[in-house]
Amino acid sequence: MNAKRYFSMTTIFAAALSLVFSCGQQQAQQKQIAQAQKEARVYKIGLSLAITGPTSDAGNPYSKGVEDYLRFVNEEKLLGDDKIEYMIRDDQYKTDVTKRNFEDFLTEGMVFYLNYSTGSTLGLKKDFEEEKMPVVPASFHAGNLVDSNYIFLPIVSYSSQMIGLSDFLVSNHTGGTPKVAMFIHPSAFGRGPVEDTKNAVTAGLKMDIVEVVEHGKDLDNTAMLKRLLSKKVRYVLCHTVQSPVATLLKDAQRLGVIAQRFGESGKLTFLGVHYTGGNDLIALAGSAAENFYWSTSYTLTSEAGSGTLAQLALAKRYGRDDKAANSHNYTNGVMVAQIAVEAIRRAKARGVAVNRANLYQELLGMNGYNAFYPLTTVGPVSYSATDKEGVDTLQIYRVQQGVFKRVGAPFVSEFTKKVM
Amino acid sequence: MAVNRWVATGNFFSSYQEEQRIFITHTDRLIFCVAVTLLFIWPLVFELSNKFMLVIDNTLIAIVAIYGLNLVTGFAGLISIGHAAFVGVGAYTVASFATVLGDRHLLITHGWPLMIVIAGFVGAGFGAFVGLPALRLKHLYLAIATLSFQMIFQWVINFMTFFDQGQTIPVGRVFWFTGRIVRRQHYLFWYYVILVLVVVLGFAVRNLLRTRYGRCLVAVRDNDRAADAMGMHPGFTKVYAFALAGFFAGVAGALHAYLYRGVGIESFTLHQSITYLAMAIVGGLGTVVGSLCGPAAIQALDLAVESLAEHAGALLPAALNLSTALRPLSFGLVIVLFLMFEPRGIANWWRIIRSYVKLWPFRY
Repeated sequence: MNAKRYFSMTTIFAAALSLVFSCGQQQAQQKQIAQAQKEARVYKIGLSLAITGPTSDAGNPYSKGVEDYLRFVNEEKLLGDDKIEYMIRDDQYKTDVTKRNFEDFLTEGMVFYLNYSTGSTLGLKKDFEEEKMPVVPASFHAGNLVDSNYIFLPIVSYSSQMIGLSDFLVSNHTGGTPKVAMFIHPSAFGRGPVEDTKNAVTAGLKMDIVEVVEHGKDLDNTAMLKRLLSKKVRYVLCHTVQSPVATLLKDAQRLGVIAQRFGESGKLTFLGVHYTGGNDLIALAGSAAENFYWSTSYTLTSEAGSGTLAQLALAKRYGRDDKAANSHNYTNGVMVAQIAVEAIRRAKARGVAVNRANLYQELLGMNGYNAFYPLTTVGPVSYSATDKEGVDTLQIYRVQQGVFKRVGAPFVSEFTKKVM
Repeated sequence: MAVNRWVATGNFFSSYQEEQRIFITHTDRLIFCVAVTLLFIWPLVFELSNKFMLVIDNTLIAIVAIYGLNLVTGFAGLISIGHAAFVGVGAYTVASFATVLGDRHLLITHGWPLMIVIAGFVGAGFGAFVGLPALRLKHLYLAIATLSFQMIFQWVINFMTFFDQGQTIPVGRVFWFTGRIVRRQHYLFWYYVILVLVVVLGFAVRNLLRTRYGRCLVAVRDNDRAADAMGMHPGFTKVYAFALAGFFAGVAGALHAYLYRGVGIESFTLHQSITYLAMAIVGGLGTVVGSLCGPAAIQALDLAVESLAEHAGALLPAALNLSTALRPLSFGLVIVLFLMFEPRGIANWWRIIRSYVKLWPFRY
């Protein structure tokens, strides 16, 4: 009995000792972690965008691009022990919800904000100013930059793109002044570049804008295409989203009016800026997308390069499907996240606190030799107090055998400099 | 009249005046006073983040708008599918002044109470105009007429350069006796302003229903021919029902413009009109309590589902699309369930609770 009691007492004592010891070990570990955490900092980046609802076809891969790159930064310790906490919220393309998300991000201590739509960027512009919050939106609307100090477009504005595309058109057209029609989204987003393009014409760009068409939700464009042909129009400059362009191209194909070579007489050559193109257009329009000319400042996975290979590897690493991996909106998301991370990295390198004010200064300092060269764009990102458009160069692509292929080298239109 | 004014357990009215009292018992009055006092005091005790203050302010604005929708649809029985457009009229009234005078003009920044009233009257004018088809149309046909107003409104705003083609038109920060309302005070300041309006306009609606004009609304809803035979003017009643709805909507629109410090078309679309209708249905058509409960319930649901979606998204990143689809799904489901199982809305739950307490400990 005594032996039994002795044995049980010993067991209890040993158990208690091991418990105390393990607690001590845990405490030591916790101390170490706390110490490490004290040294490592967390920077918060917010993103509010349309993951569902209107334009979610673009917003969805965009959010994946941002998320994947920031996960990659954390996992690969690109900022050392410091981490980025990213808050991604769906706003369903509603400005009210975007504002709510923005307020929430502010409460959370966000230092850099990524916004999405034109409407919400314009709607929150005054908040950005008051909060002195550096913002990179997915909207390239030139109006975002009016009366604004803290909004930075990742690439050139829609207006600059439209002027660049028009310049490309005029440069490659043969035989007199080309007659052009503009096919635009019935909103501020679509209408924005029209006036700037007309200003470029006034400034000497030799083309004749015959008609500006605001598309509705038409399922048939036969009448419009016939009308444009009757007015001797040869080029249609599109600034909208993919689905109306796909409908337009399919109708043009059905009527047999798509030009097989650039500016073919009696036919129509279709061209479009950033949100008109991409793989989604090819998926929607099929063979009708052949010979569609498209401008953007991003590299595409259909033209292999170090940036596109890295993009595909990133998408594969996080299990994204082919559609997302090859989407230029995914590229767009990766790139804006890169800008935010680069600003943080530079602030850290300079030994200053990573806060809104310093990140804003880092963005303003991204020019000249200090310009930022992401691998997924056709030119460097450069900002200054007077230039808030990131990548200034444009690349023209053309659909050939079901994929976008590069046409010529990246360029900056002289008319962009004159007008914008 | 009950002897004990604190715990009246039945109908003891001896005159119409007694029956028409706003508060039947002293207990009702006390509960109301305590509730309003709490609503005024709590922000001074608990500090909420700007996000939640924005949500609460937005809910209060929706309550003002639903007062109007309830008048026209709940009390007068005239379906309106264009209520967001009426709210938009109020908001764009403020925006128009801001465009013409500048968003920092004294009238915008200092004369904001006047701007809110003007927006209400402009809304009432549009309401009366849109209500004119109600003289000839009924039921679904009238609904289509209000829907067409919604469409015309959106088209006009999106088309006219004066309204910046639907882009956000900025509205300046307002001033109070203490000076300029800065960003830190913004949501709290507007909370109190909107709360005062919710209380005042709530009393206005309740009082309206005690007058012959209010009773005309209900009479025309129940049977307009019978109302006509009783000497009421159904046509005039329908038009002023729309005008009143327009007034409340206009006030709500002006408050929206000031709260968000800008006006853009995205806040006044058909989707928003349907959301207002859902708020009125879920709250309970034809009740003042329903006007309070509906917006609160829909906003709370929206926030709860958003939070659920976020957690689901965090646990299953690949399923983010699925989780965000919960929002529209749950919204539709709630409306269908209410229509099926509680068409009288949350206000009916309140009525059941009140009668239970009133009759306690007796069940009947």
